[in-house]
Amino acid sequence: MVNAILDPTGGPARVRDDVVLATPRARLRGATIGLLENTKHNASLFLDELGKLLVERHGAKGVLARTKLAFAAPVPEELLEELAGSCQAVITGVGDCGSCSGSAVADGVAFERRGIPAAVICTDAFLVTADAMAALKGATGYRYAVTAHPVAVLTPDEVRKRAEQVLPEVVALLTGGAASEGDGR
Amino acid sequence: MTLDPDVAQEAIEYCYDQGWSDGLPLVPASRPLVDAFLAQTTRKPEEVIGHHQQVDRDVTVELAAINAAMAGCRPDYFPVVLAAWEALMHDRAGGSGAGWQSTSGPAPLIVVNGPIRIRLGFNSTGGVFGPGFRPNATVARAIGLIVRNAYGIRPHVLEQTTQGLPGRFSICFGENEEESPWPPVSVEAGLDPQTDAVSATLLRTCEFVDNRHTQDPEQILWDLADTISRTGSLIFRGTGAGVVFGPEHANLLAGAGYSRADVQAWLVEHCGRTRADLHRAGKDGVGENNVRYADPEADPDDVTFEKILSEPAHVPVIVAGSRNAAMSMVVRVFGLWSGHAVAVESTASASE
Repeated sequence: MVNAILDPTGGPARVRDDVVLATPRARLRGATIGLLENTKHNASLFLDELGKLLVERHGAKGVLARTKLAFAAPVPEELLEELAGSCQAVITGVGDCGSCSGSAVADGVAFERRGIPAAVICTDAFLVTADAMAALKGATGYRYAVTAHPVAVLTPDEVRKRAEQVLPEVVALLTGGAASEGDGR
Repeated sequence: MTLDPDVAQEAIEYCYDQGWSDGLPLVPASRPLVDAFLAQTTRKPEEVIGHHQQVDRDVTVELAAINAAMAGCRPDYFPVVLAAWEALMHDRAGGSGAGWQSTSGPAPLIVVNGPIRIRLGFNSTGGVFGPGFRPNATVARAIGLIVRNAYGIRPHVLEQTTQGLPGRFSICFGENEEESPWPPVSVEAGLDPQTDAVSATLLRTCEFVDNRHTQDPEQILWDLADTISRTGSLIFRGTGAGVVFGPEHANLLAGAGYSRADVQAWLVEHCGRTRADLHRAGKDGVGENNVRYADPEADPDDVTFEKILSEPAHVPVIVAGSRNAAMSMVVRVFGLWSGHAVAVESTASASE
């Protein structure tokens, strides 16, 4: 009798197949926007700036800014609950490293499943890992906002410009609307 | 018995086709072979010994055994693989799993202490960072295969190493206890000298310091400090680094009265750069997140000295290699050297 060759992987990943995207999408006017930055250099400024633009141009009421200290790990349950409990939309990022890119996407998916529309910011050097993580989380094809790599090296003014550039995409992701239109206008 | 190379080759190609290989041929793992591994431990095959939170995958004793077999380990190496894995799970960057995906592509450093080095034939003398010894090569490789296969973290996908370093998943050696002037690393960690043990952490790289023409211990230390203090390795306010001493340097230092703790304390005190040096390299600013950046407001002539090593206990001082030349290896720690040692389960207890 011939012995079988054993599989060293433990089998395929456990993938959830429930609905991913939160519905309805967010109405930005009057909304509180959760900002979940991951400690990566310039991430906090990038998200703060997006929050500011959403308040100024799209009528959001304000922001709730939080930091995820372990950038490679899933968003802690308390933090997820806090943001989901107080915010109508969440922005996570910036995914610009090997583990935090996938992690930012995973957090976005977690918020979506909790019923909160999310916009994940990732740099274009990590699209493969971001997409792979989305698939692992049962969210193949999950859309996120992409900004050019690198972000960490930018000056504060350059970060603000980047935030401005990615704003239409963030609005579209959160509202489910066209990228060029402001919410509630 | 006639061995059939064509059948062996087919099995090897099958493993490649499944995407299980790190690039080199694998030993196809059969049930009887893996059972021989499992017989070396009292731990149950289904016991979970690692969980990666973000990819939501487990490492079980069984999966570790399959991967160790595929790496080319002998069954009696398996308790060392388990101890090495456990030591890495205690490591800050290895335990969180972040290190396996990092752009830094850090390499496990696996140090074996105790009589098991001799019994299994771990190299602890000439060429410890090089090839040529089955236990050294395959125990380290087993860790890499576990990460690749059980966690599913593969290059270019969930693993995003920028350049990596030579030696990832191949750095494993015995401490040269016989020629070290200091107690074994495992004994410093509180274990008995007769207890087999493994210590481990993740490394960014290794850099040699060759200094064979002085008898002055401080000159040796300054030479090491220069390599440790290079600005290129600094990302955060501080950094992690230590030394795998060749026996000649270690004995020269010990002969001059330096204990391991003295060496650690000396390095913490003397490794660092002036703010002017850091300014020149664009690393004089330190942000709230502890990350260094170019501070345009800083004084370019500030000669204030900034130390870069945190505390002596986090500076690995290990002795390995041959006593045939006075060189040592600076090892650059990716996360934090804990100094923790994990006892290797004795095979006697497994067969009871």
